[in-house]
Amino acid sequence: MAKRFVTTKVEVEGREETKTVELPSRNPSPWQDDAELHVVGQRVQRMDALEKVTGAARYTADVQLAGMLHAALLRAPAARGRVTALDLSPALAIPGVRGAIAFDDVPDVKLDGVRLFDRTIHYANQPVAAVCADSLEIAERAVRAIVCTIEPEPPVVSAESALAPDAARVRPHGNTHRSSPRILSRGDVDEGFREAEVTIEREYRTPVALHTALEPHGAVADWSAGSVTVWESTQGVFNTRADLAEAFGLPLTAVRVISHYMGGGFGAKNGASFAAYTAVALSKRLGRRVRCLFDREGEQTDAGNRSATIQRVRIGARRDGTLTAISLDATIALGIGGWLAGPARIYHELYRCPNVRSAETFVFTNTAPMSSFRAPGSVEGAFGLECAMDALARELGMDPLELRRRNYATHDQDKRRPYSGKHLDECYRLGAERFGWDTGRRRKRDDTSPVRRGVGMASLTWGAGGGPPAYATVRINQDGTIDVLTGTQDLGTGARTVMAQIAAETLGANVDDVRTVLGDTERLPFTPNSWGSITTASVGPAVRVAAEEARDSLFEAAAGMLDADPDDLESRDSEIHVKHSDRCLRFSEVCEKLGDVMIIGQGSRGPNPDKTALSAFGAQFAEVEVNVETGNVRVLRIVAAHDSGRIVNPTLAESQLEGGIIQGLGYALYEERMLDGRSGLPLNPTMHDYKVPTVADVPQIDAFFVGTADVVANHTGAKGLAEPPIIGVAPAIANAVADALGGATDVTEIPLTPWRVQASIERAR
Amino acid sequence: MRLIVNGAEHDVAAPDHETLLTTLRDRLSLTGTKLVCARGECGACTVLLDGISAYACLTLTAACDSRAVTTIEGLGRDSDLDPIQAAFVEHDALQCGFCTPGQIMAAASLLHENPAPTESEVVRGMSGNLCRCGAYPKIVRAVQAAALSANGKSANG
Repeated sequence: MAKRFVTTKVEVEGREETKTVELPSRNPSPWQDDAELHVVGQRVQRMDALEKVTGAARYTADVQLAGMLHAALLRAPAARGRVTALDLSPALAIPGVRGAIAFDDVPDVKLDGVRLFDRTIHYANQPVAAVCADSLEIAERAVRAIVCTIEPEPPVVSAESALAPDAARVRPHGNTHRSSPRILSRGDVDEGFREAEVTIEREYRTPVALHTALEPHGAVADWSAGSVTVWESTQGVFNTRADLAEAFGLPLTAVRVISHYMGGGFGAKNGASFAAYTAVALSKRLGRRVRCLFDREGEQTDAGNRSATIQRVRIGARRDGTLTAISLDATIALGIGGWLAGPARIYHELYRCPNVRSAETFVFTNTAPMSSFRAPGSVEGAFGLECAMDALARELGMDPLELRRRNYATHDQDKRRPYSGKHLDECYRLGAERFGWDTGRRRKRDDTSPVRRGVGMASLTWGAGGGPPAYATVRINQDGTIDVLTGTQDLGTGARTVMAQIAAETLGANVDDVRTVLGDTERLPFTPNSWGSITTASVGPAVRVAAEEARDSLFEAAAGMLDADPDDLESRDSEIHVKHSDRCLRFSEVCEKLGDVMIIGQGSRGPNPDKTALSAFGAQFAEVEVNVETGNVRVLRIVAAHDSGRIVNPTLAESQLEGGIIQGLGYALYEERMLDGRSGLPLNPTMHDYKVPTVADVPQIDAFFVGTADVVANHTGAKGLAEPPIIGVAPAIANAVADALGGATDVTEIPLTPWRVQASIERAR
Repeated sequence: MRLIVNGAEHDVAAPDHETLLTTLRDRLSLTGTKLVCARGECGACTVLLDGISAYACLTLTAACDSRAVTTIEGLGRDSDLDPIQAAFVEHDALQCGFCTPGQIMAAASLLHENPAPTESEVVRGMSGNLCRCGAYPKIVRAVQAAALSANGKSANG
């Protein structure tokens, strides 16, 4: 008998893990590219749109429980130092205050390397204490009454200062992560550079970017009789449950985590938040329901960020453009903690090159910890690599797109695996065609006007194949309606709708009869976090298996009623037909006859194919106008061609592309967390001063999908698509700006604020 | 004091410094109006005050005595959606949805003042409302479609 439990490789956020998986009860044959599908692939309306346009959708921030108390946090007004005195009693003396907690009152838990309410201050705005009161207003007033003395020390604010020989120690073992430098190498780069006929060398810099989700990190906790229910704004209810259960010494059965709606995550909400630990600790202590939400300054300063990088890049090539060597030496500023989302990976993957070497140094500083942020690492890496490719193209006098085509990677070269599907060549072809790349490149330059036009492009890749474990249950109700139960989350991506479509397709149901129930650890089977663009490709196949099981049961029941063999039945629009006859029954009729028999199908996600790379691809093109007198950059249009396998819902998928592109635009032009270089205190912790794009900043966007169902990746043929669209935008824009400036200067640093552009122009003079 | 919200009268004992946002969310449990920046920077708390958009986070409840406040809950519901809400649904002009009530209320004010805006007028009118998911292209399309459908309706009597 074949083994039921096997291992398989799953990639999440650029990290590959080995997972155990129980083989699903069945392994449906893939929906081929030319399969006749009726619901999957359709522009079905977003299923929770009605709740969202009427204000009925209840987010964590909207949960109001009877008798609920409100918590507020005291945050350190220094970036480094030690709490030498902390007196909570003045806060507790204020009428309406119900409790206060600090270091000694919470479990010994570290969040990104920092103990909850740590008495050692590692970064500005680190929480020091929390107060809980009848209203938020009283809690905030009480926080200001706390007497807190901090003995400050000079903070280590930048990666460069942390690496200086006389730098103070940021973490006990030193200022770099123990794995640093992390070296990844194939071939022999020294030999590759000797073979090169042309070599370029550049240094690129990227900023710290902030997620700026509109709904802040926050939780509502209801501790009662040894169990706790927690509403949390999270991308992972099961991760949050595991974190809280461990911290508070509870079995998983005593922790229920709910996230029905959430107002943006973008990678920063992947487990129990500081707010959740605080709310649970206070609820446990007081026996009351407690809400703790980050305020906006807390969200902008202590809720994760994209690491700043410095990337020193060398690329060697032959005169015909063939790459012979790529080397990267990168410094990545983590802040006080986080994980190692370095820029190197895309340097190894995007182009065919026998000799690639990267060295990544991860640096600790006295700044807030990083966290995943939409395609972490690869957004930063794509900026360096893709700008360097353009610098090489200029050096060679070659069309940048042609240079990329000449170095097309046909397989994952580091791991020596074929891709399950790769249609980047189609992205190049169709993207260039719709953009008018050749015309744009040939356009005559008008150097008399201060406003110059330029075009640029960049390509991208991202591991987005998903994988196990993920589970779903499909239930057919007594009236023929269908519930899809799965413990995933919908961050605004459209997961609710996508899962309902996959179930409806499989069952032959009308999609309007299907609802998806998600975001609740108590009532729903496990799925992983909604991260790494994995949800559709991970959960979708589980939903399909569950729906197939349910359909088979339904057909068996209907077969008797229709006096037919189950194999002779087919269904469409919630009607079961006997093939080649006019006999049919609606789902509702079958279910009515069954009475209270409940048809239930269970499904799970099977293993990934062996020795195969599962990736999404894309090519993005930008046209800009640069005013050489003011340094102002205006992006006129973006064309983005993406290959993410089968698209379950084109409307929702295009929304993801547009959103990712607009976030990429912000990263390219405006967004940059500013800290005072000496004190490490935040300078732009508001939505006015930290510039995210507004509607007035948005260029014309033409974003679309090429490619076909990836039937090797999984049996739905879908791959992930939420993260890829942010990856190529900044380099495409930077390359277009360099083109507008006549190629005499390189653009090496983002965001492309007017003063940076002017500095580039100055350098060229 | 007397507060008229979505056509219903409420006796509200709000202190003088309380914002309309707090009153709506915490006293009246109208949580469709969102708290995001609390300082008039993002537009998520946009409501209508006598038909004109206002940031609820910067408006004192005390200043709203006997004035008509309209929130997203009062605009339209279920099968009786306002054309703007219907257009947001149809054009998928939202993702996470957290900014959506504010966007829709801003659009309502815009279309009230300018029933047939050009694209650039829509962009200018909506530029005070941030959407981090980047639903902007579809928001612009939805507002334009809502204007067309409302005008179509009135033209047809």
